[in-house]
Amino acid sequence: MPEATFVVQLDDIHGFVVRQRHPTTLTLNEKTLNLLFYEQQKAQKEELSFSEIDGLKFVSYTSSDFPGWMVCSLLGPDEVFDELHPELAGSGRLILALMKEDPDAVRLNEILESGKVLTGLTDEQKLAEIYLTPSSALLLERMQDEGVEKAAKLSIWLKNQVQSDDVDIRQAMDPLMRSGIVKVELVGRTSETVFLIKDVFGYRAPPTESVLKAEESHPSIASKYREYVTEFFSPPPPSKGYNPTLPIEDPTSPILEDREKISRILSDRLQFLVLDCLRREPLTATEISQRTALPESIVMKVLWALEADKVAVRFEEEDLWALLTNPRIESFMPEYILPIIKRKISEKEITSDAARRYLELLAENWGEHSD
Amino acid sequence: MLLAGTSNSSQRIGVNTVIRGVYILGDQGSMIYSKEYARSESKDTLVEFLMNLAEFLKTVDLQEKTEYMNAAVSRIFYARREPFTFMFVADKADDATQIEEKMGQMVEFFMKNFANLAMANQPLDGFDDKVDEIAVTMIKVAILGFSGVGKTTILHLLRGEILPLVPNPTIGVSIKTLPEEISNVKIVFWDVAGQLRFSILWAKMIANAQVVVIVTDSTLENVLKSKKLVSLVQEEVPDAKVIGIANKQDLPTALTPQRVGQILGIPTYELVAIDISYRNRLISIIRRAILEGKTEAKAA
Repeated sequence: MPEATFVVQLDDIHGFVVRQRHPTTLTLNEKTLNLLFYEQQKAQKEELSFSEIDGLKFVSYTSSDFPGWMVCSLLGPDEVFDELHPELAGSGRLILALMKEDPDAVRLNEILESGKVLTGLTDEQKLAEIYLTPSSALLLERMQDEGVEKAAKLSIWLKNQVQSDDVDIRQAMDPLMRSGIVKVELVGRTSETVFLIKDVFGYRAPPTESVLKAEESHPSIASKYREYVTEFFSPPPPSKGYNPTLPIEDPTSPILEDREKISRILSDRLQFLVLDCLRREPLTATEISQRTALPESIVMKVLWALEADKVAVRFEEEDLWALLTNPRIESFMPEYILPIIKRKISEKEITSDAARRYLELLAENWGEHSD
Repeated sequence: MLLAGTSNSSQRIGVNTVIRGVYILGDQGSMIYSKEYARSESKDTLVEFLMNLAEFLKTVDLQEKTEYMNAAVSRIFYARREPFTFMFVADKADDATQIEEKMGQMVEFFMKNFANLAMANQPLDGFDDKVDEIAVTMIKVAILGFSGVGKTTILHLLRGEILPLVPNPTIGVSIKTLPEEISNVKIVFWDVAGQLRFSILWAKMIANAQVVVIVTDSTLENVLKSKKLVSLVQEEVPDAKVIGIANKQDLPTALTPQRVGQILGIPTYELVAIDISYRNRLISIIRRAILEGKTEAKAA
């Protein structure tokens, strides 16, 4: 465990503000804070950077989600940065996420002593990020029509769509590449080609596992719980309920708006932690707090937010929370692209090399021997 | 500056209050008046939240008191006078009593002079000046220039401090306030390190400055180089008042302030920062820049 940890914010007016520190007797000076900030800016990347200042070893964590904030740790003389990397990144992530939600609820000593961390993004969260970057969502739509497309052509298309020359195709493509939705490869000597490997579907699933578990462990809420879920997914006519598989033409359709909401919920680190915990069974706020290692006050805030988004539901008498809907984003093989590829070859829009490579990539990802 | 602390609360340089936004909402949740003193990336979300909060406050009896709620590191102060809701957004670490007093002043002034106009949907001419007078308690002045031109010496001169015998290059940024206030406003100076390695910080360090002072050593080489700084400032803080300082006028190689001003394209003033007799003149220049900056912002 580091000898000391502190959270610093660069405020536009006041300068460096030390928002939290552990131990509270820790003394810092302006030079140290400046150098830590400088090292972090020099690296121009998220996560951790190491600095040695006046013979002391510091590690600072930053994230583009929290501009101007740093979680810094002072390492002991025997501590090695590389060995502590995952632990420091995890605690940095957790501390900043908690600071954003409720700075007063953050107890640095408890977090550090318990070794609580927030892990990196899950596959589901990486998929959710696509819908939170408008140009990425646009690119995905285009790839759903094309399957295979030259990167240069895609770039021109995107610039036309957003009516701006400033749009950066690499940046827009990043969430798609990181989540494995597309793959970019050189086909031939110079032709950078984009392949759609997976398609995604964001929706609210019924919380089946949690409903079944409630019948076993909390029979007092079971029938009421089932009733709430049924009312949401298949209410008696004339209400239509929830059906995300209906074809949608209207871009302002509530289902599309809801998909964005689902993405936002899944990509919010604290909401995802609480949601994931409730996927298995109904729990009290205290139980969620114990399982997620989040302070109970923050768990309550997250639960209220989930309740407002029709994700969680509360059973007041039993003091239990359960999922009303289970937001999910899943990937699937885009089989519907195959006829498009056939047409593109016959019309010489793509080379046979590109088509062959596409089939190889699909087989690698979706074949029997893929992971 | 030492940021030692034994409490768990925030420690920061200076203790002055900064009101970051002033909002007045009407009966139908409409925004009657708003002013932001610091740029915010999440302005739309904040305004939406304030409108919802105002709606909720209609159901609560605040008894003419100012109350507040915390939102992450910010604190939202609010008061109600039928049919208006008044709100300040400040920092959680700010002095709540001081802000409550300011809220009282603003509410009283508004209700006495502008409530009827607002209800008749008439323009609130003159209210903006009063809001500035009440809400602006601190002004950020950034001092920018390449290494060795005398930025830190200027800060020592402004603060009436004795110059150190050995120059000590600034690391990152050094933040100091002026001992005296100008028009009841505290001036906080950001002395930004001029070494090239710190140039990656310049844009961040001048953010939300109301005045930027570009310091040159009055040599042709340095003045020509400093033109880049003028462009940077105009791009990053387009609303800031920018002035130039032609320092080291006691040296034989110094260009005249007029020539420096011509090259930089900004109003420029002469200075010998190691000469204490320039102190009052420099304070006047800063004071004028602040006032001109306010006037220009209003005209815009």
